[in-house]
Amino acid sequence: MELSEYFSQLFSDYTLRTITLGTAILGAICGMLGSFAVLRKQSLLGDAISHAALPGIAIAFLITGTKDTNILLLGALVSGLIGTFWIRGMVTKTHLKSDTALGLVLSLFFGFGMLLLTFIQKQPNANQAGLDKYLFGQAATLVEKDVTLMAVVTGICLVIMLLFWKEFKILLFDADYTKTLGFNTRFIDILITFFIVLAIVLGLQTVGVVLMSAMLLAPAAAARQWTNKLSVMIVLAAIFGAFSGVFGTAISASQNNLSTGPVIVLVASVFVLFSFIFSPGRGILFKQLRKYQNRRDLELQKTLQFMFDIAKTHEDISHPHAILILNNFQGYAKSTLKELEEKEWVKVKGQNWSLTSKGYDAAANLYNNN
Amino acid sequence: MDAQIEIQLIAAVVAIACAIPGVFLVLRKMALISDAISHSILPGIVIGFFITEDLNSPLLILLAAVTGVITVMMVESIQKTGLVKEDTAIGLVFPALFSIGVILIAKNANDVHLDVDAVLLGELAFAPFDRLIIAGTDVGPKSLWVMGAILSITVGMLFAFFKELKVSTFDAGLSAALGFSPVVLHYGLMTISSVTVVGAFEAVGAVLVVALMIAPAATAYLLTSDLKKMLVLSVIFGVFSAIGGYWMAHFLDASIAGSMTTVLGLVFLTVYLFAPSKGLIAVMYRQRQQRTEVSLLTFLLHLNNHEEESERHVQHLNEHINWQKVRSETVLELAEKNNLIKISSDIVALTPKGKEFTDLALEYIITNKDEHIEHMKDDFFLFRG
Repeated sequence: MELSEYFSQLFSDYTLRTITLGTAILGAICGMLGSFAVLRKQSLLGDAISHAALPGIAIAFLITGTKDTNILLLGALVSGLIGTFWIRGMVTKTHLKSDTALGLVLSLFFGFGMLLLTFIQKQPNANQAGLDKYLFGQAATLVEKDVTLMAVVTGICLVIMLLFWKEFKILLFDADYTKTLGFNTRFIDILITFFIVLAIVLGLQTVGVVLMSAMLLAPAAAARQWTNKLSVMIVLAAIFGAFSGVFGTAISASQNNLSTGPVIVLVASVFVLFSFIFSPGRGILFKQLRKYQNRRDLELQKTLQFMFDIAKTHEDISHPHAILILNNFQGYAKSTLKELEEKEWVKVKGQNWSLTSKGYDAAANLYNNN
Repeated sequence: MDAQIEIQLIAAVVAIACAIPGVFLVLRKMALISDAISHSILPGIVIGFFITEDLNSPLLILLAAVTGVITVMMVESIQKTGLVKEDTAIGLVFPALFSIGVILIAKNANDVHLDVDAVLLGELAFAPFDRLIIAGTDVGPKSLWVMGAILSITVGMLFAFFKELKVSTFDAGLSAALGFSPVVLHYGLMTISSVTVVGAFEAVGAVLVVALMIAPAATAYLLTSDLKKMLVLSVIFGVFSAIGGYWMAHFLDASIAGSMTTVLGLVFLTVYLFAPSKGLIAVMYRQRQQRTEVSLLTFLLHLNNHEEESERHVQHLNEHINWQKVRSETVLELAEKNNLIKISSDIVALTPKGKEFTDLALEYIITNKDEHIEHMKDDFFLFRG
C-alpha cells in the first residue's frame, strides 16, 4: 500500500481509522504527560515502569484467567505503581542512587514477569496466546473499545491537569517553595506520578514495554526546544506525539513486515533531531550561527577600535591610511572592511582607508553604549 | 559433561562476568548505561549476523561492542549540547537504536534465524547444544568459551587497573591529577561492559543482563562500603542467584533467565529489608530513635524555659509541644527512666542531672557545635536505662 493510498483509505477503512486514532491519542497523552516527566528529571522512570508493568499483566491473567484488556491493564497499573513507589523508597531510605533503583526495578520486575509468562505458557488449559504482544506491542490489535478507553483517560487527565494546573506548574519548578506555600506537595506529586504510570500502561498494548519510554520522552524533549513556557510545551508535545503516532502508523501500514511501535519511535526521534538542530532559540544550528555572528561583531569592533586609535592621533580624523597596516591586526579581514564601509564608518579609496566622522563617533562610543 | 552442569557453569560464568563491571557502573551512577547498551547493541548484532550468519562469531561481538560504545558517545554528545538532561539523553538514544534493530530483523525475517524474543530474553537451555569443535574434538559449549574468554579479560583488566579504576571511580579529578586519564578508563569500562553485555545477551537476554549487572552490585553495596568486599560479595550473590535460579526454573518448568532474575530480586529484597545498618528496617528504626532523641531534647529545653507550672503539667504537654499522645508518652517515660525529670502530682520538673544535660545541650546549640550533642548521649547514658 502506498502512502497516498493510506491517507485516502483512512476515512473509509474501519481498521485503519481505529489504529490511526489510537496511536494519535496515545502520542498526544504521552507527549502531554511526558513533559512533566522530562521537566521533573524522571525521564527514565518511563522505561522502568513500562518494564515493571509486565508481572502485573501476568498476575492479572493468572488470577482472572481472562485476556480482557482492561483487567490486564489494571494489573499493569498496580505493578507499575508498586515499582514506582519502591524506587522512591530505595532512593529515600538507602544510599542507592536513583539510576540503580530504576535499573533494579526495571530488570527485576521484568525478569519476574518473564518467569510468570513462561510459567503461564506451560499451563495446559490457558488461552494465553497473545500475552506477549505486550512486550513489543501490536497496534494492529487495537479495537474501538481500546481507543475509547484511551480517549476517556486522556479526557480525565486533561480535566485534572487544568484543575491542578497552578499546583503542577509550581511544583515542577520549585518544590520547596510549593511546600512553604502550604500546598500538599505529596498529593500533587503522587497525582503526577500516577498519571505518568497511567500513560505508560495505556501505551503498552500499542508500542510495547521496550519502546514505551521513547514515546514518553521524545515528543516532550522535542517540544522543550521550541519554547520556555510550560503550557506551550505541553501543547506542542501533544501535537508532536500525535503526529508521530499518525505518521508512524502510516509508514508501517504502507509496507510489509514493518512493526508499528518501532516506526512510531523512529518518527518521534526524527522530530527530536529536527528540533535539536533547527529550533530558533536553543537549536544547534542557530546557536552556531549566533556564535559566528558574535565573533564577526567582535572582529568588526576590534578593527574599528584599532582604526580609531590610529585616527585620533591625527588632526584630520579622515586622514587616509594604508590598508596594509591592518594586516598586522588579527581581527582584520576583507569582509570586515567591507562591512565597515557599508555602515559608512570608513571610506576605502584604492589601497587606503579613512575613518568617517560617523565612524569616529561610533568608535568613541563603542565601549560606552554596549 | 552433563548438560545440566554445563548450563549452571555458563550461568555462573555469565553472572561473574556481569557482576564485576556492574559494581563500577553502580558506583559511578551509570547503572542505566547498561540498560541502554543492552538494547542499543541490537542493530550491531543484527548487522553482524547478516554478514556472518553466525551468532557466536567474534566479528558479531566486536560490531555489537562498537555499537555499545557508540551509544555511550551519542548519549554524551547529546548531553554536551545542554539541550536535555543526561537521563533524557539516554532515554532518547537507546529506543531509537533498538527500533532500528527491530525493523532490520522484521524486514529480513524470512532470511535469518534471529528473532527479537531470543535477543531480549535469551535461552540458556539451548546453550549446550551449540558446541565448539576443534579438530574434530568436542571441547564444550561455545558460549562457555566465549563468556570464559570475556571473563578472563575482565578479571585481567580488573587486576591490572584496580588502583586506577578505584581512584577514578571515587574521585575523577584526583585521578586526572595523578595522570590516569578518566576518559580512557571511562571508555575502557564502557568497552568491557559492552563486550560483556553482548556475550551475555545470548544466554540471558538483553533485559536480564541488566539485572545481572546491577542487582548483585546493589545488594553488595547495601552491605559494605569497601570496594574489594563489594566486588567479592557481588560475585557471590551473582553465582548464588545463577545456580539457585537454574534449579528454580527446573522445578517450575519456566524460563531460566526469568528465574535467575527472580532469585536476584529475592536476594536483593532480603538484604534491602534486613541489612544490618543500611537495610530498610535498620534505617526506619534509626530514624525513629533519632526522632525520639530530638523530641526528648526539645522537651527538656521546653522544661528548662518554663518556670510556670501550667506549662509543665503532664496533660498540657501535647498541646504545648504539639506532639501526638503516643510520642509524648514515650519521651516522658524515657526521660524519667534516665533520671532527667521527676514527676510529682502531674507536674514535670528537671532533676539536677536533667538540668546539667539541658544546659550543656543549650551551650552546644548556641555555640553551633551540634556534633557534641551526639557524645552527650553516651555521657549521660541515654537509652541505656
